[in-house]
Amino acid sequence: MSQNRQYELVYIVSPETGEQETADLHTQIEHIVQRFNGAIEKSENWGRRKLAYEIGHHREGTYVVETIRGSGELMKEIDRRLRVTDAIIRHLIVRVDEDLRVAERHRETRKASQARRRVARGLPPEPEAGERRGDREMDDDEDRIEGVEVQR
Amino acid sequence: MSEERGSRGRGGKGADKNKGEARPRGGFFRRRRVCKFCADKIDYINYKDVRLLMPFIPERGKIQPRRISGTCALHQRKLQTAISRARQLALIPYVTD
Repeated sequence: MSQNRQYELVYIVSPETGEQETADLHTQIEHIVQRFNGAIEKSENWGRRKLAYEIGHHREGTYVVETIRGSGELMKEIDRRLRVTDAIIRHLIVRVDEDLRVAERHRETRKASQARRRVARGLPPEPEAGERRGDREMDDDEDRIEGVEVQR
Repeated sequence: MSEERGSRGRGGKGADKNKGEARPRGGFFRRRRVCKFCADKIDYINYKDVRLLMPFIPERGKIQPRRISGTCALHQRKLQTAISRARQLALIPYVTD
């Protein structure tokens, strides 16, 4: 049961570290995950990014995001490992499965109630493409601030 | 709640009809009072999405209060955690001078 939790791990590798070493760090984490019977579901490298503030005299760093499925003990071990690794200047582990489940439930409820309301108005339950005015303009361009592309 | 307070004293029963719009109030224009996350149907506030969080961080780097941004209580709470996480990862500054 507790084996099946989803975590998100973000770590910042110091800018002096080379590509090869960054890849090595990833394989190290992979090994730990395998040892604890977990699984890495997704792994993405954001590349070099400017930090919002200095961390230990570093002004930029390489961001790596991993989505890991596994137990709390596994994440504890990873946390301990990352803490002692000098090349990693910052890391963050967040448990995400519960939040995502809640979000999913919200989405379902909204969809259901929307369908109910539409049927009550004598419309088909699913809105057709282009039916709503806001459909196209939804991905707004005006408040675009420099940042990484992240999909939700 | 604060909506009611804003229109008090002007005496009109229908005065608070134009809720969502910016209206003068002592020469000061109210900003939009709809929760962005409710309006855009964002269920999960991702701490890695800097573009989503940035509008809630004024110059100084503090979190914009609910009374100004109009975010609902639930989403302000979620936003708060998202911003703290983003700050830890140096995606958003703690302070800007």
